[in-house]
Formats: sequence, structure tokens, C-alpha cells
Amino acid sequence: MAAVTLSRAFPRLLARLLPVGLALARMAAQAVGIVVIVFLLARLIPGDAVDVKGLEGDLTAAQQSELRHQLGLDRPVAEQMAAWSWRALHGNFGDSIRFGRPVSGMLATAVPETLLFTGLSFAFGLLLAAGVAVGAVTTGNPVLRGLVNFFNVWSVALPTFCVGVVGILVFSIWLNWLPVFGSLVLPVIIIGIDSAGLIVKPLYEELAEAATSAHVRTARAKGLPGWRVTLRHLLPTAVPVTLALSGLVLTSLVAGTITMEVLFGLPGIGSLMLNAIHGRDYPVIQATIVVVAVALVAMNAATDLLHRLIDPRMSS
Amino acid sequence: MTLALPSEARGTVRRGISPRTALAALALALIVALALAAPLIAPFDPLDQDLLALNMPPGPAHWLGTDHMGRDVFSRLVIGARTTLIVGFGGALVAFALGAGFGLVALSFGRWAEAAMFAVIDLVRALPDVLLALLLIVALGAGAGPVVIALGIAFAPFFAYVARATFHRESVKDYVAAARLFGGGRLHVLRLHLAPNLAGGLVTQAAILLPRCVVTESVLSFLGLGSSPDAPTWGRMVADASRYIEVSPHAILAPVIAIIVLTLSLSILGEAVRRGLDPLREMRGGM
Repeated sequence: MAAVTLSRAFPRLLARLLPVGLALARMAAQAVGIVVIVFLLARLIPGDAVDVKGLEGDLTAAQQSELRHQLGLDRPVAEQMAAWSWRALHGNFGDSIRFGRPVSGMLATAVPETLLFTGLSFAFGLLLAAGVAVGAVTTGNPVLRGLVNFFNVWSVALPTFCVGVVGILVFSIWLNWLPVFGSLVLPVIIIGIDSAGLIVKPLYEELAEAATSAHVRTARAKGLPGWRVTLRHLLPTAVPVTLALSGLVLTSLVAGTITMEVLFGLPGIGSLMLNAIHGRDYPVIQATIVVVAVALVAMNAATDLLHRLIDPRMSS
Repeated sequence: MTLALPSEARGTVRRGISPRTALAALALALIVALALAAPLIAPFDPLDQDLLALNMPPGPAHWLGTDHMGRDVFSRLVIGARTTLIVGFGGALVAFALGAGFGLVALSFGRWAEAAMFAVIDLVRALPDVLLALLLIVALGAGAGPVVIALGIAFAPFFAYVARATFHRESVKDYVAAARLFGGGRLHVLRLHLAPNLAGGLVTQAAILLPRCVVTESVLSFLGLGSSPDAPTWGRMVADASRYIEVSPHAILAPVIAIIVLTLSLSILGEAVRRGLDPLREMRGGM
């Protein structure tokens, strides 16, 4: 008996676990692919870390080849890649050429700043989009419906750094409300609206469709108060769409975060990356790009899994 | 006897050009005209520094004032329009050729080639466009050429996806089955029956991506990676002026407004192109 139930249950369990396993395998493959791309492109750069050092100090040819051997730069690319990945998995990204400090330490101070900024922007963007979309659907208010289109156009057509510059000019300099640098208020609002604009229109359309569906009409017909219909019957339909669209938002957050960190002087991973690019600090460039890209892939995989988990239509 | 179109589509088809679209077209035409005529109408050399006229507000001598190095903002704006337009449009063009070409080659060689080549495209897509462009510019060096290539590679996947989506949508239709029955191979069907259907989708995608290309170019310029210092672009003008924003706001507002007008009109026109070419499939999207 037990064997029979097991043999019945097993394929079902497998059917549930297989997509999860596939998503995780896809994520791992993408992460490996990113490391390969970054490594190969880094090899395109004329000259290596030792040449950069050689330009500044006076290293003899013998010292250079000695240093190259120490850093493993005389090994085949594949071997270097494997060694680098192995160390990176243990949190060791080598030393910065410019500052001689471990890159991991620089990341440790920059990453929390960036996580705070992107987390706040993401949350604000999501709340704003959900609020405006729900408001526009439930009240039919033309101002809110206009806002849906306004945010949408905003995120398509207005580069965040331009909005940032105008924001600094208006709020920090003309109105004197906020300090120009270091404050998170203005950049979070700018990136939040930008993120909201990416998702608010599809969200609104999905909600508008859900509002006319049978279960919402039934809920209304049986006399439930409006807020309860919205909360229990309308909002749950918005969750899967939001999750499906959040990948788009996460991707656009990368560009937005880099520009805002540079413009507002926030000491996050975007500033670190840009300073490294201008200073040709290759270990830092490599580490920051890989960390950001792999984190993005991981977060996209996580939202994808969550989406599958809560939306039964996805598992077929 | 009238043609029985769905009511929604009829409205879209017969509406003609909206005032918004006309305004956007006018703005774009103006920017292109200014860029073309730039050497004739620029009153100063965009690189000439007048150290006696730093951060001058707009006036009769300098129509849009001068920046922190005494360079004429109007001259830099119209000369910069050339680089901005060439690099943004060039990037979109390279992306179009690269993505459509790669996608068509992948589709021509059967299922395995398709799966393998699109896995590469998915991988490129896993990197956000600005990050990929940054990486390519680090590898190729800064400057207009590398930026065009970087934009081309970063945006190419969208065109490949359109090619694949069109291919799979059309290949289940009866006329393709008929062509197959008459002995047409994959390549024959692709060339004769699917390629004509592809044009609309690809052009729509180009129209939608063009403003994104221009925005990405200006972001890269703003980050100091777009072009060499002696070729002003709007993004670089914003970056240069951002440290002097308090003393000369005009030097920063001029390129900011120019960028916003350009990207806004490009996206309005892109939307118009999408509606015009694709009236029945409002919601299909590009992926």
C-alpha cells in the first residue's frame, strides 16, 4: 500500500519541484555566464593590473613578471576564472590596485548603503504604483487615472539624472529644503516614481479587468463594504502581476541607483564602480559588476519562484 | 458596404495624427535641423574658453549664457546635439542589425541552433543595459564608437526576441503549413513568408527602443564614459555643470531640457508608430 501511494505521490511532488529546480539551475547557469562574460571582457582591456602598477611606480621587468606570477596572471584564463570564482565565493575579491585594500572590505561598506537606498526606492515605488492603481480603479477619479499615465510617461521619457538635477535645483537650491548631498529623500522619491511608472499602467489595467470579474461583483452584491472588496478580492489579483513586473523594476533600479549615487554623492556600490572605472581599478570593477549582476539574477529567480508559488496558473 | 473592423481598431486606424504626435514630430524635426545646421548657426567654437566671461547668465552675447569654463552654452548645445543624435540613433541601428541578424541566423538552422543561440541572448539580457554598456566601454575604451557598439549589443536581444516571437506566431498558421506542404524548407519559408511579417514588428521595436537608446547614451555621457571631452554631448554638459549648479543653473538646465524634449518626443513618436503599425495588437508587447 505504502509503495502505491508513494509511487502516486512521487510524480506529483516531482512535478512541483521540477520547475523550482529548473529555475535554480537557470539562475546558477546565468551567474556562471555572467562571471565568464565579465572575465572575458576584462581580458580585452589592453594591459593588466601589473601594467597599471608599473606605470605608476618603477617596477623592473623581473619584478613585473614576479608580480604577475604571484597574482596568477600567467595562468590560462579558465584557470584564473575558476580561481577567482572560488575565492569570490569565499568573500575574497582580491585587493584594490589604487588603495591596496581588500575589495571585500570596500564592498562591505558600500553594499549596505546601496541596499538601503534600493530597498527604500523599491518599496516606495511599489506602494506608490499600487496606491495610484487601486485608487484609480476603485474611485474612477480622473486625476488618479491621469497620474497613471503621467507616471508611465515619466519613466519612459525622463532620464533619472535629469530629474535629479532639476530636483536639486528646485528643492535644495531655490527652496532650500534639503541638503544637496547625502540625503536619501530626493533620490528615493525620484527612483521610486521611476519604478512606479514602469509597473503602474499594467497594474491598473489588470485591476480594472479584475474589478469587472464575477467574484468582485458577487462580493459587492452581497453587501461587503468597498474597502473590504478592495482588500480581500481586488488586491490579491494584483500580487502576481506585480511580482511578474518586479523583474523589470529591479533591472531598471541598477541604472537608476548608479546615476543617483553619483549625482547625490551616496557612498554605495554604484559610486564605487564608477570611481573604479575612472581610476582603472580592475579588481574593483570586476567585483562590483559581478556582485550587482549576480545579485540581480538571484533576486529575479527569487521573485520568479515566489510568483510560481502563489499563482497556480504558473505551475502548468 | 463597409469593412467590418472591430470598433476599437476602427477608431485607431482612422484617427490620423494627434496634435501630441504632431508636436513631437515638430520638436524632433527642430532638434535634427539644429544639429544639421550646427556649424553654421553656432556663434562660438564649442570648446573656446572665455575666462573673462565665466558662468554668464543668458544675454545678447551668449544666448544661453556660458558655463564654468566660459564656453558658450548654445554653441555646445547645438554641436552636442550631433553627437547625441548620431550615437543614440547609431546604437539603435546597430542593435537592430545585430539583433535581427543574429535572431534570423538562429532561426534558420533548426531547433538546436535556436535554443543554443537564444541561450546566449538570454545571458546578455540578464545584465542590465547600463551595466553591460559600462562593462563594454571599460573593455573597448570610452568614446563615441565604443558607446555605439555597447548600445548595439545591450539592446540587440529585444530585436532577436521579436524575430523569434514573430517566427513562432506565424509558423503555426495555415499559409506556412501550405508552404511546407508544397515542399518549402525552413529557410524557404523563413525568407519568403516570414521575413515580410517581421518588418512591422522590428520597426515597432526600433521606434520603442530609440528613446531608451538616447537615454542610455546620455546616462553614459553623464557618468563620464560617453565621449571624449572635446566632443560635447548633452549628458556630459549636465555632468560638467552639475558642480556649478548654484552659480550657473542655466548651464545645466539647457542640456537637461534638451534631453527631456528629445526623449519625450521620441517616445511619443514611438508610441504613434506602434499604434500605426500594430493597430490590432495593442497589448502584445515586444518580448
